[in-house]
Amino acid sequence: MLARAHTFTIEGLHTRHVTVEVDIRLGLPAFAIVGLADAAVREARERVQAAIRNSGFEFPARRITANLAPGDVPKAGPGLDLALACAVLAASRQLSPERMGSTALFGELGLDGTVRPSWGTLAVAQATRRAGLQTLAVAGAGAREAQLVDGVDVVVVERLASAVRLLNGGAADRLPEAIRRGRDVGRELPGPDLADVRGQRHAVRALVIAAAGGHNILLSGPPGTGKTMLAQRIGSILPPLSRAEAVEVARIRSLLGTDVGELPRLRPFRAPHHSITAAGLIGGARRGSIGEVVFAHNGVLFLDELSEFARPTLEALRQPLEDGRVAIARARHSAVYPARFMLVAATNPCPCGYSGDGDRCRCSEADMGRHRRRLSGPLLDRIDLVVNLDRPDAGDVGTPGTSSAQARAQVVAARERATARLRQDGISLNAHMDVRLLSKHARLGDKGCEMIRGARASGLLSARGEHRVLRVARTIADLDGSERVRARDIGAAIALRAEPSLAASRAG
Amino acid sequence: MRRSWLLAELGGPLDFWARDRGRLNELLALGDGELIEAVAGRRRAELKDRHASLGADELHRPPDVDAVCRHDPRYPPALRDAGAPWMLYVGGGGGRLKRLAAAPVVLIDGSSRASDYGIEMARSLARGLAAAGVTVVSGIGDGIALAAQTAALEADGPTLAVLDGGIGVSPPARRRWLYGRVARRGCAMSELPCKRQGRIWGAVASVRTRVRLSTLTVVVEATDAERELAPARRAQELGRTLAAVPGRVTSPLSSGTNTLLMEGAAMVRGPGDVLELLYPLSVAPPTVSVQATEPGLTARLRRVLERVGAGCDTPEKLTGEGVALEDALVALTELELMGLLGRGDGGRYVPRGAFPPGRWAAGY
Repeated sequence: MLARAHTFTIEGLHTRHVTVEVDIRLGLPAFAIVGLADAAVREARERVQAAIRNSGFEFPARRITANLAPGDVPKAGPGLDLALACAVLAASRQLSPERMGSTALFGELGLDGTVRPSWGTLAVAQATRRAGLQTLAVAGAGAREAQLVDGVDVVVVERLASAVRLLNGGAADRLPEAIRRGRDVGRELPGPDLADVRGQRHAVRALVIAAAGGHNILLSGPPGTGKTMLAQRIGSILPPLSRAEAVEVARIRSLLGTDVGELPRLRPFRAPHHSITAAGLIGGARRGSIGEVVFAHNGVLFLDELSEFARPTLEALRQPLEDGRVAIARARHSAVYPARFMLVAATNPCPCGYSGDGDRCRCSEADMGRHRRRLSGPLLDRIDLVVNLDRPDAGDVGTPGTSSAQARAQVVAARERATARLRQDGISLNAHMDVRLLSKHARLGDKGCEMIRGARASGLLSARGEHRVLRVARTIADLDGSERVRARDIGAAIALRAEPSLAASRAG
Repeated sequence: MRRSWLLAELGGPLDFWARDRGRLNELLALGDGELIEAVAGRRRAELKDRHASLGADELHRPPDVDAVCRHDPRYPPALRDAGAPWMLYVGGGGGRLKRLAAAPVVLIDGSSRASDYGIEMARSLARGLAAAGVTVVSGIGDGIALAAQTAALEADGPTLAVLDGGIGVSPPARRRWLYGRVARRGCAMSELPCKRQGRIWGAVASVRTRVRLSTLTVVVEATDAERELAPARRAQELGRTLAAVPGRVTSPLSSGTNTLLMEGAAMVRGPGDVLELLYPLSVAPPTVSVQATEPGLTARLRRVLERVGAGCDTPEKLTGEGVALEDALVALTELELMGLLGRGDGGRYVPRGAFPPGRWAAGY
């Protein structure tokens, strides 16, 4: 007798539809699983056997072959247990196979027959909808995040016996009280407020511009000037996630193994330590492993002490910064993950940290050269705003600055203007404008053109630098509510890209 | 020839004596035989033999490098005294060396770890002097020397570079590009044979060549360290005119130059002051700064420029004085585009002296 059940396996951010086929025939009692199963799936044999017996059913003493189709996709994780057990029961006629064609089953089994939630339930719910199945049966704890997906009937099964009842036409379990009540718990706390930053009007303004346009920003300054403090507050001035973005973020979190529960509103903020490897940042260490840039999708990636990161790690950021995705290709697997994030980086201006702070710097020319080389080049090319921070004046410490709420209002207004303008071009942020869109949306008056020409002629700007300045100028104009990019926007944008021109003449 | 070979062979003992500058200079003034006696130790006999039998073809020399000894008519007259090198390997040609050394020569020297103020002053001095037809001489190392060499070359002025080691290894090795540019228009010279390392004593010994070559020594920025004040001390010993650029009293990087000024060195605030020292009878250059006459400099921009000069050198500090942030940013960019401001360490704005930015800024 043959039976089929539907379930899913997870590989990185991707879910693959798996059909579990079980065949039972006469022969010596055996239970074989074929179809590129990993260790967790092979162990399912023992769990399924015990769960079936302990739920009051009979485990057939015959030759059982389970095939996981398609045969070329590696199957991982314990989420296949439930489908496997139901298929065995259906094949041994302890369960009617009628409803199994339209129901996806996803969950791990305990030896006593309870269904445990398996991570990635949200992604599985999306895949269920894509696969054209109507119902998804999962454990109670995973049900809430699966219910965030529209168009799928998510039902709760707490035990194997309830799954059998459901498939035989009975009712599903109710969502456990504790989980239902937990809905209000775990609401995200807003991050620290921008008003905590005293002084640093220049840097705060740059941060608001960066947030409004989605520009990458580098904060550079001596220790103790508030670089990290500022960067940690960028989350509080970014607009909340839209629903589509929130589902993307929730999906990634769910696949990470985090309990999602409700759609996140705050943007992700990832701050990996500088000892991170390229594989840790991008992903691809193992099959399906995901890097920090993917976790920062739709949010902020903060790299503190940028110059301490290994060079290959920083170089690996080039593709995600350019394309908003990472394509990982290894000998045995390849994958493409979304990674559109805003890069916020902080660095000391020199190895000792005190360059430009009076005469405290004790770095030699060679040290400075090394430091500069480490940061220079393609990565800096993709950073629109470079801001130098000063030690704040004693007088400034008392005066409160802009609050996050004010800044966020400015940012949201500017983003709305940009989105309205860019809608037909398929993007929403000024930072993503390419050369063609720049010539369309950032047209300059005579004075602005003259300024750009002067900066190019004097070597202050490269061709790529010109595009960066235009993008930032467009955002500054948006923040001021101006339709046109004015000469003063260009001037401010040039000043906000602090490249030490003298430094070039010292490097040999 | 023999002399340079001998110096290269004696590198080790000379390094030992280089700890005492005065003693090293005395040793370098000795004849070959006496020098072997004084420092060669156990190798005396061996070196004497080899020295006597050394053939001219034993020292490799590329065709574009001239060997000019002190009996050669092309040898600069300024070097014809006891303590100077006996012979020089000259990249760029002996004839050119003679011509360039005959013009007024100014040594621009200072710390290898200079502040951006020092770099900017060195640049503006070198640029101005090169444009006025004065030959700039300097080393090829870091900091002030590098700034002076590159700025003079950018102003299309030929320069002289005295290297610490032999041509071809010119330390630091990463300055080969600069050696090439110097040798194209000016001269790069060394008293060591090609490709022989200058070691420690080479750096000490090249100072005396530089100072002797020049009519005037300008120290742009130097600390109190003996190493950084060496050119000034040599110039004082030799009775050459010594000048220094004043720096901030509180800055340790300028403590050496300020001390020199206290001791009576001439004060240099720009290329005009150097020309004044070189040609004392000429009409004084106009003292009105170019900044004041720059067309298009509105009252608003002038105010910002003055404030930057007074130490409000970041947008943050400028806004502290009641200027709106965006206005400050725009004004700073306008001034930068006019070439009146540049950016230094930590992104601070530095007033840029009298010369508008030329193609040099784009060159690197």
